[in-house]
Amino acid sequence: MADFKYIRPDNLPEALDFLWDNGQDTAIIAGGTDVMIDVKSGKLDKKYLLDISRLDELKGIELNGRDLCVGSGVTLSEIYTSALLASNALALQKSAVNFAARQIRNIATIGGNVAHSSPCGDTVPSLLLHDAIALVADKKGIQHIPMEQMATSAYMSSLTPQQIIVKFILTPYQDGYADFQKIGRRKELAISRMSMAAFVKKDSTGRISFLKLALGACTPVPCSMGAVEAFLTGKVPTRELLWEAGGLLAERMIEITGNRSSTIYKKPAVQGLFMRILFPMVGS
Amino acid sequence: MTFEINGQEHTLDIPADITALEVIRSLLGLTGTKEGCGIGECGACTIVVDGKSVNSCLMLGAQLDGTKVLTVEGLATEASLAPLQEQFMKNHGVQCGFCTPGILMSTHALLEENPDPDTEEISKALAGNLCRCTGYQQIFASVKAAATASRDDRITGGKNG
Ligand SMILES: Cc1cc2nc3c(=O)[nH]c(=O)nc-3n(C[C@H](O)[C@H](O)[C@H](O)COP(=O)(O)OP(=O)(O)OC[C@H]3O[C@@H](n4cnc5c(N)ncnc54)[C@H](O)[C@@H]3O)c2cc1C
Ligand code: FES
Ligand code: FES
Repeated sequence: MADFKYIRPDNLPEALDFLWDNGQDTAIIAGGTDVMIDVKSGKLDKKYLLDISRLDELKGIELNGRDLCVGSGVTLSEIYTSALLASNALALQKSAVNFAARQIRNIATIGGNVAHSSPCGDTVPSLLLHDAIALVADKKGIQHIPMEQMATSAYMSSLTPQQIIVKFILTPYQDGYADFQKIGRRKELAISRMSMAAFVKKDSTGRISFLKLALGACTPVPCSMGAVEAFLTGKVPTRELLWEAGGLLAERMIEITGNRSSTIYKKPAVQGLFMRILFPMVGS
Repeated sequence: MTFEINGQEHTLDIPADITALEVIRSLLGLTGTKEGCGIGECGACTIVVDGKSVNSCLMLGAQLDGTKVLTVEGLATEASLAPLQEQFMKNHGVQCGFCTPGILMSTHALLEENPDPDTEEISKALAGNLCRCTGYQQIFASVKAAATASRDDRITGGKNG
């Protein structure tokens, strides 16, 4: 097994101090459900393991005016049971429902999910959906990083070894339909996994008055779904219309990712996933 | 590192790279907790830390510091909880028994949180505990029987008191 020292700072400034001096030689551990796999296989080649799982500054879910703040240390179980999230970020709450099993959810954190498996992590599409901004700190100050910039494959290098994600600031959405769905197993090739989050509002005549979509996929897809959102807004959703919109979405993705072999699988998959999420909007 | 396990306090000096499961099994000799997959998927290693079920194979030993841990050995010593094990025996929830300690710990955490779970709630709580023998029906029946037994207990307890 690996040879490292375990460090558990008492507060965030202490953690940031430590990282400022030793960041290059340090791995951060929150819930540990990703990091421990490396620890156990001896792949962790760092001198220090910095435990941030007890830092109060990273905890809590709060609504401050128009800012819905979710601490990076909030666990998937806390997301699952949060009434505040159920009424202000339902898609995020739903992303916890089929996330691993309870023993994992009890310790796995949203910060670890974003930092480790972006953009395949289950919480990522919902964070994109809510235009989340990550508040990232190092000893010298705080940076606000929009989720789109985090959810690229380049992200890993954009968070410096001295930085800790403190929290995510989301735009709340109330009183609409929201869902999160995923396809592909976690252990399958990353490329075949895909997930989607949506928020929809209909007016009194049954037309879509507001629609937002976000996709999680392990390709560097800038998640601009504007064309599809514009296509559906103002229309009464029918099965045919949704199928057409799903096709449009798939085409957009092919355009963005380039016509690679992986897209052959992806077109029907995107369309199917899209139908699965939005079908409850038909006629209801 | 100091923590409490099954009501007993322990102070240990441990290497940084060992798991909570290794602390419990190898250093403390509490071998009721099992190791199956070692990667968080089977639930055989489930323990309850500060009231929450977790996979001890994926928890760093050092993270136990300052916590209160319950393992399957602690169920039997807490007299009021023995009925859970009894119901598993009565309802054939145990066959080879490898999954049983983990299932008992997940069930314990569930019943503390929700004393009267329905089948779906039981199934969700036990989704991370694999059993190759029973087909789960007997396990669900055992959990339900345990919930009913403890509810009846509470009611008669109330009448008597
Ligand atoms: C059996 C099993 C099932 C799983 N199922 C799913 C699933 O269904 N969906 C899914 O998305 N994931 C799944 N995962 C992956 C994992 O549980 C998640 O990615 C989890 O959210 C990671 O959080 P953590 O707190 O455990 O991270 P850790 O393992 O503690 O850390 C992960 C990485 O993030 C870094 N990090 C953590 N917190 C911060 C922070 N605040 N600032 C900066 N860097 C940070 C760490 O340095 C590390 O590199 C599963 C894992 C297992 C073992
Ligand atoms: S041994 Fe821990 S989950 Fe399988
Ligand atoms: S009784 Fe054998 S694995 Fe469950």
